[in-house]
Amino acid sequence: MTLTVVLDPAHGGADFGARGPTGLAESDVVLDFARAARIALEAQRLRVLLTREGNQDPTFDARSAMINGLANAIFISLHVSSSGPLGTARTYYYVFPSNVTPAVNPTAGAPPQTARAQASGAQPTRTSLIQWDEAQRSSVDSSRQLAFLVQTVLVQRFKDSPDAPIAAPVRQLRTIAAPAIAIELSSIDVTDAKRLDQMAQPLAEAIGRAVAEFHPLGASTTTPSGAH
Amino acid sequence: MPRLSKIAIAVLAVLAFAALLTFPSLLRTVLGLRRADRSAEQARRAIVPPISTPSDTREKAQLFWLSPTSPDTLEATTVELDLSADAEKRAKQLITALIEKTPSQTQRTLPADAVLLQFYLMPDGTGIADFSETLETEAPSGILNEEMAVDSIVRTLGANLSNVYRLKILIRGQEADTLAGHLDLSGFFNVTPQAQAQPAATGGATGEQPLAANPSNASPSPEQQPAIRN
Repeated sequence: MTLTVVLDPAHGGADFGARGPTGLAESDVVLDFARAARIALEAQRLRVLLTREGNQDPTFDARSAMINGLANAIFISLHVSSSGPLGTARTYYYVFPSNVTPAVNPTAGAPPQTARAQASGAQPTRTSLIQWDEAQRSSVDSSRQLAFLVQTVLVQRFKDSPDAPIAAPVRQLRTIAAPAIAIELSSIDVTDAKRLDQMAQPLAEAIGRAVAEFHPLGASTTTPSGAH
Repeated sequence: MPRLSKIAIAVLAVLAFAALLTFPSLLRTVLGLRRADRSAEQARRAIVPPISTPSDTREKAQLFWLSPTSPDTLEATTVELDLSADAEKRAKQLITALIEKTPSQTQRTLPADAVLLQFYLMPDGTGIADFSETLETEAPSGILNEEMAVDSIVRTLGANLSNVYRLKILIRGQEADTLAGHLDLSGFFNVTPQAQAQPAATGGATGEQPLAANPSNASPSPEQQPAIRN
């Protein structure tokens, strides 16, 4: 089955995202990035979908819904930061904050004890239902694998970028039941838009190369329940 | 020229003269207001008395702001603060200092207008920080920026309190979906008290750590540890 890559140019509509000193909007820049990445991916005969083709602003859930009904798909959300070292790129994968209730020993100052029953992150079986609000739990390992691949390629094209991806609770990724990452480039804080335009092609090539090397650890065909 | 017209011209001349006399002071007032440039949040903060308790002592605290040389990392700065022995008030003093005592604009992690409305500490070590809505509306948009904002709070609490193990962020008493459009606020952020931190895991006082711990049964292998940013 052909892999489908869902590219997510973040923001859109009235939500411009980060704004540059000359009024440059993140929502426009990432749409250009997505279009460039689509060309690179379609050249590999992959199926590519964009969560928005123009200046719309789908909700987090609407973007998630585009991929959660698909089998053999991956999700890549594209962002530009407000600040940060210019010309660097970071890849993020979702990390679920611990649900473990710490047990504090006030006298000894002991570290929190973990309760096995509450430990989170269990990979559901192929037949189990997946909670929409925590759909990413089904794919945390594959997402991490994809993030490492992408960041490894990005760091070759964007010098001074971190060597490894970053684990962070990026909201958009939480409700996606497939390998999902976010890529953020720095930064919108430029007076010349060409400096961001120049990042589109290396970014597209990096995504194309990483996706070509990606083989998911285990595809899940379950559909999230409780969509809202 | 009719007499009425002469009177009207005379009145207008007097009014114009009076306007000329008052214009400079009016201009000074307007410019003064512009210079002050204080938002409603800042004005509100100005009338809120400083957080002080009878147990306050002058202490050296480690506060985490953006590094002046590397804007995608946090750097510890030692600041002398009056800190309470009461953990809730101490946390409030620390976070307020994080907002108000930023060394420079380029090192700021939290919006200047943000106000910590309340801090609660549960018996299980969960800290709940309730911020004004300006944290949400004024924080620079972006994953990196929002990550730095939360990380600066988490690491400041961890460095100066021994009994806060995780943090929940509320906006005006309500759970918010995101900080400024990216970072998920639905869960808790793990706090590692400095006294218990493993040197290898934190990289010392200025080392980086992930915002939240991985689930225990999905821990990455050593070579796949979440990024320790450089």
